[in-house]
Amino acid sequence: MYRYDEFDSQLVRERAEQFRGQVARRLSGELTEDEFKPLRLMNGLYLQLHSYMLRIAIPYGTLSARQLRKLGDISRHYDRGYGHFTTRQNLQLHWAQLPRVPDALLELADVEMHCMQTSGNNVRNISADPFAGAAADEIEDPRILCEILRQWSTLHPEFSFLPRKFKICVIGTEEDRAALLIHDIAIKIVRNGAGEIGYRVYVGGGLGRTPYLAEEIGSFIEKRDILSFLEAIMRVYNEAGRRDNIWKARVKILVHQIGIEEMRRRVEAEFADIKKGATLELPAEELARIAAYFAPPAFAALPAESPEYEAQLREHRDFAQWAKTNVHAHKMPGYAIATISLKSIGKTPGDCSSEQMEALADIMDEFGQAEIRITHEQNMVLPHMRKADLYALWRKLVPLDLATPNHGLVTDIIACPGLDYCDLANARSIPVAQAIATRFCDLDRQHDLGELKIKISGCINACGHHHVGHIGILGVDRKGVENYQILLGGSGAEDASLGEILGPGFDQEGIVDAVENVIGTYTNLRQNGERFLDTYRRLGPQPFKERLYAR
Amino acid sequence: MPHPLQVLTANRLQPGEVVYWNGSTGWVPRLADAQVFSGVEAEAALKAAAEWVRKGEVVAPYLFDVGMHQETIVPVKVREAIRAAGPSVRRDLGKQARNVSL
Repeated sequence: MYRYDEFDSQLVRERAEQFRGQVARRLSGELTEDEFKPLRLMNGLYLQLHSYMLRIAIPYGTLSARQLRKLGDISRHYDRGYGHFTTRQNLQLHWAQLPRVPDALLELADVEMHCMQTSGNNVRNISADPFAGAAADEIEDPRILCEILRQWSTLHPEFSFLPRKFKICVIGTEEDRAALLIHDIAIKIVRNGAGEIGYRVYVGGGLGRTPYLAEEIGSFIEKRDILSFLEAIMRVYNEAGRRDNIWKARVKILVHQIGIEEMRRRVEAEFADIKKGATLELPAEELARIAAYFAPPAFAALPAESPEYEAQLREHRDFAQWAKTNVHAHKMPGYAIATISLKSIGKTPGDCSSEQMEALADIMDEFGQAEIRITHEQNMVLPHMRKADLYALWRKLVPLDLATPNHGLVTDIIACPGLDYCDLANARSIPVAQAIATRFCDLDRQHDLGELKIKISGCINACGHHHVGHIGILGVDRKGVENYQILLGGSGAEDASLGEILGPGFDQEGIVDAVENVIGTYTNLRQNGERFLDTYRRLGPQPFKERLYAR
Repeated sequence: MPHPLQVLTANRLQPGEVVYWNGSTGWVPRLADAQVFSGVEAEAALKAAAEWVRKGEVVAPYLFDVGMHQETIVPVKVREAIRAAGPSVRRDLGKQARNVSL
C-alpha cells in the first residue's frame, strides 16, 4: 500500500502542530468560537450531541495492520474504547476532548493518517471498491487513481473553498461495491475499443434532501488527461455552483438545473482551455511510481480448489454458513476475499471496539494480510486470504464476535449514528437497525430472503444511504416524536436506482412490523428466485402499499 | 398562549460535555439541576450566556422546551432526553453511566 513520502509526512505533522497552536489559542481566549470552528472542522473535529467527534480519514478504505492497531490504541486512550466505521469508509470517534485532539493527530501522523478534509467544503476522503486488487473482473486497481487524486486534492488551493463538500469514488469493475453513482464525481475504469485503459466519468450524484444519481459526462477520458478533466469539472462547479443556499450548493443541483448537456459543454470548453496550457498531464513515471505501491502481493501458485477448505466446509456447518455469504471469489486460484461483518445481531452497525481492532491487526499479521479494507456498507474485508486459511481465520473471528454470517443479507444493515450521537439527526437509526436485525436473526430465514439491503438514516442528510436501500428507512421528527418513513426500490450497486417513499411513516415500534410486512409481501409475490429488488421492480409499489396500509 | 417552559443548555468548551444553566451555581451537568425559564427570562438567559461563551467556558448555547412532570424536568423532544442521558444504545456511556440523577 502507499507509503508517505517526506512531503506527506511533513504535511500531516505540521498540520497537527498547527492545530495544537490553534487549540491553545482557543483555550486561552485568543480565538473566539466563531474563529475557531472552521479551523477545527478543517481537522475533522465536530461538536456533536454529547461531545466532540473526530472523523479520521481512511483513504480509499485501506488500512495496514499497523494503522488498525494504532486506531485501536487511539480509540482506547482518546475515546471510550471503540470507533464507528462510516459509509464514507472513515472512522469516527464520538467522545473526543478538545485539549487532547492535537496529541491524537500526532499519533495518527505516526502511522501516516490524518483527519484533514473529512469536513468542510473541499474534496473529501476518496472512496473505492473494497475488493480493489482482488476482484476477478477488475481492469485495474482503482486505488492508484484514488491516491493520485488524494495527492492532487489535498490542500488544493483552488478547491479548498468549494460551494459545498465534494465526494469522489473510483471503481475498476462492472460490479459496483462502492455505491459509485451517489458521488459528486464517479469514475469507472474502462477499456476502449482498442483495449486501452481509461476512465468513464460521471458527475452530479448525491443523496441528502435532493437525491440524484450521477450522469455520464465523459465516456472515455485518457489516463494522462484525468486530472485536467476533473479540474475542468471542479472549475465549472466552483464558478457556477450556488453559494447562497446550502441546500442547493452541491454539484448535483448545478447539473440538474443546467442539464447534463450544458454541463458537458461547459466542462469540455474548460477542459480544452486547460489542455492548451498542458500543465496537468500526469507524468508516466509518477503514475508508475504510485502504481508500484499497489502492486499485488506475491501470490503463491495454488490450485483453484483447496481440498482442506472443502473438507472444512463439509465438516463445520457454522463455518459453511459464514463462508456462504462472507467469502467471495478472488482473481487468483486458491485465494478468496473474506468479509468481516460489523453487524453482529443486536449490536451497533459499524462499531468496532479497541480490542477488536487490535485483535484484527494481530490476525492480519498472523495470516500475512498487509491490508484490511473498510467498506461503505460498514464492514471490513481481508482481500487476499488463502482458501486453506479461511477456517483458521473464522475460528479466530468467532470469539471476537466478528464472524456474523450475514454479508448482503437482511441483517447486514447500514445505519448512520442517528440521534444517539449526531447533532443533525432527527431520529435514532441504531435502535431501529438493532430491532430489525433481532427480528430477522434466524439464519435460515435470512438465506430464504436472499440479498436484501436495508439502509437507515436518522435525517434527510442520508449518511445511512436510505435512498439506495432495497428497503430504505428515513427517520424524521414529527412534532417532537421520532417517525420513520419507508422507501422501496433503491440500489447502490451497478443497477443503481433511487427508492420511492411508500406512504405515511411509523413510530419506532411500528417500523419493525412495517418492514416485516413489506418483506412478507415480497415472499408472497416473488417468482423464480427473484431478489426483493427484482420483485419490487417487476410489480412496483402498489402491492406493497396495499398490504402495508390495509385497514 | 402561555410561554413554553425552557432550559438553557450548552457544551463545555474543553471536554464538550453537555451542561445546563443554573442561575445560582452556574453551568451544571445534570438536567435535574437546571433552572427552568419562561418567556422573556429565557431569552435574557440566552443573551447572558454570550458572556460565558466569550470567556471560553461553554460553546453553542441554546434554549429547549421542557415540561414538568411531578417536579421533574422532562424534555419535550427525544433529542434533549438523549443529550441529558447519553446514547440510548450504550447505557454504559454518557451521564447515565455515571449514575447521574437526570
